[in-house]
Amino acid sequence: MSDFVNLAFNGLIVGLLVSLLAMAITLVFGIARFPNASAGDVATVGAYSGLAGSAITHKLYLIVAFGVAVPAAVSVFFYFILFRALSRKAAVSSLIASIGVAFVLRATLTGIFGYDTRSYPLPIARATLIGPLRVMPSDLSILFIALAALAVVFATLYLTPIGKRMRAVADNPDLAKASGIRANRVLVVMWVMAGLLAGLAGTLLGVKAVISSQMGWDLLIPAFAAAILGGLGNPLGAVVGGVLIGVAQEVSTPFVGFTYKFAIGFLVLLITLLIRPQGLFASNIQVR
Amino acid sequence: MNHITKLLCKRLPALGATLIAGAAMAATPYPVGALNPVSGAGSTFGSGMLKSIEIAAHAINEAGGACGRTIKIVSADTQTSPDAAVVAAKKLVDVDKVNAVLGTWSSGVSLAVLPITKAAGITEMNTSGAPAVTQNDPQDLVWRFQATDKLFGEVFAKIAHQHGFKRPATMAYNNASGVSLVKVFARTWKASGGKLASEVIYNPHQSSYQSELQQVLSHHPDVVVMGSYVPDTTIILREWYQSGEDPNLKWIIPGWAANDSLIKALGSQVTQGVISVDSISNIHAASYRYWAKAYKRETGHDANTNAYAAMAYDMMTVWGLAMQADCSDLSHKAINGRIRKIDSSSGVKVYSFAQGKKALAAGKTINYQGASSDLSFDAQGNTTAIFKESVIDHGKLKGVKLITSVK
Repeated sequence: MSDFVNLAFNGLIVGLLVSLLAMAITLVFGIARFPNASAGDVATVGAYSGLAGSAITHKLYLIVAFGVAVPAAVSVFFYFILFRALSRKAAVSSLIASIGVAFVLRATLTGIFGYDTRSYPLPIARATLIGPLRVMPSDLSILFIALAALAVVFATLYLTPIGKRMRAVADNPDLAKASGIRANRVLVVMWVMAGLLAGLAGTLLGVKAVISSQMGWDLLIPAFAAAILGGLGNPLGAVVGGVLIGVAQEVSTPFVGFTYKFAIGFLVLLITLLIRPQGLFASNIQVR
Repeated sequence: MNHITKLLCKRLPALGATLIAGAAMAATPYPVGALNPVSGAGSTFGSGMLKSIEIAAHAINEAGGACGRTIKIVSADTQTSPDAAVVAAKKLVDVDKVNAVLGTWSSGVSLAVLPITKAAGITEMNTSGAPAVTQNDPQDLVWRFQATDKLFGEVFAKIAHQHGFKRPATMAYNNASGVSLVKVFARTWKASGGKLASEVIYNPHQSSYQSELQQVLSHHPDVVVMGSYVPDTTIILREWYQSGEDPNLKWIIPGWAANDSLIKALGSQVTQGVISVDSISNIHAASYRYWAKAYKRETGHDANTNAYAAMAYDMMTVWGLAMQADCSDLSHKAINGRIRKIDSSSGVKVYSFAQGKKALAAGKTINYQGASSDLSFDAQGNTTAIFKESVIDHGKLKGVKLITSVK
């Protein structure tokens, strides 16, 4: 039994990392209306900017601050030079452009940092036992930071005027425009948020695992799966989807072994979509 | 000029003046292909490998060439990618008409290039680990200068025995190399009556290996034998240390994973007592000293940072000696057939092309002792290897002993 508790907790942490990136993807999909393939590599930018920051400070929260600031800037930068101009074209042009952005970012990072993996200079501390649960201090920090970030995002979306406008644009862009909501401002805020979330996913993944130029790309497919599972465009769905896939993968290992656990994540996706093709939490568009 | 030489070569033997023909042929350089991972994941080693092939070719040319022919190196980049390597190999074979392709690095690249060199009937020399590389080679054209994963697995079992471990567990990265290493370990270990506590094969690119670790640790092994790489090893060792479970557990890890980057990532406390096993160059041989000095001069790097470059140096030297062993037939098939002849166990030991050329001129059989190993090829074209066991102590790799593999 204690084994399952530990497996589930590990699944929760891994799932939360996926959720953060899934949230970045789902925000872009809900408001800018295209699947953003560059989200993973923006996350990698976050991990490396956190690493650059760690040259100055060894404090986790400052490393995280570096790790979210740069990707937010990168994200807005590409909105202005690329995605804004493409917003009037079919979604597929933006998708292709985002794949291009992904390649550019990855190649640049590989060019600067090479193929070697890196780690943050953080202390490695022993786990504490909470009942049957073995909790590592680093996992606890990840849990705390991820939940805090998600709380801030939801508060912004549901409690602030800009959040209301974002949801209005997501709901019905024409009606939002007719009501005098300026899409440009909404989109800039959205890209900042997507950049912050992706950067946070990358930085925390770097804390938990290692930093490499491929890390974000590897996280992209599970994140897309989580976003689709929850219903593309729905923020709460992305979080639930990520955690569900993470926990299902880890808890299944005593039965299916370690080589097939990724398949379990996708099996969950497959079954959900068979029963509920619109995803767990259908977004407004799909309900209409 | 080239045209005249060709004409002379054609006509003169007909006149029976083979001696003069030999002299005329000497003017044409002899093209050899260097196909190395100059860019991509293998770029840390590739340019040093190319440099070392050139160092060896230069040494041959300085000694008057092989059978009077100067060696001309035609180089191409594999980009550490099978696709790019195939294009580069086709160019070397079809356009540059090279007589041998030297220095492919990773198994994936070598396996992609081999059909091309085999179809052209030319020799391929590589530093790849996967057993499949030298299998299915009826023409005996493939030569491996790196220890196979099989040798690694056997040496791991030997070391586990010597340390008196009783309950080893294995963890392997799910690819050909990682899995075959622990499989050979398990087979060798069981053959000598031992039992395994647990065996886990894990998927690459995970953000956590806690579930895998939990499974291994629940069987209370006294040592974990890994077939792994730096990124996954970093995460696994960190999570093991953080969990606080079995703090006295020992680890046996291949040298490409348990190295300075691992120590840098984890610090001295986590890595304390980790046993690292790596194949090393023939560091006490004169051939190694000569190559190491030239390597340092040409690249500015220390020789011990690039074991594959020593192998690449040996490839060119072996080919030159095989040419020199019988100047009457310089077809690439005949030269390939003489590779075992210059490696005859009863021959006089030589450490350079010049030494070998002199001994051959005196009518002796020779046994070339390489910079990478003493180079004794088995029936499949695999070489023997020297392994070094090191232990990480206070953040430093400390050599314990050398182990030579048996053929």
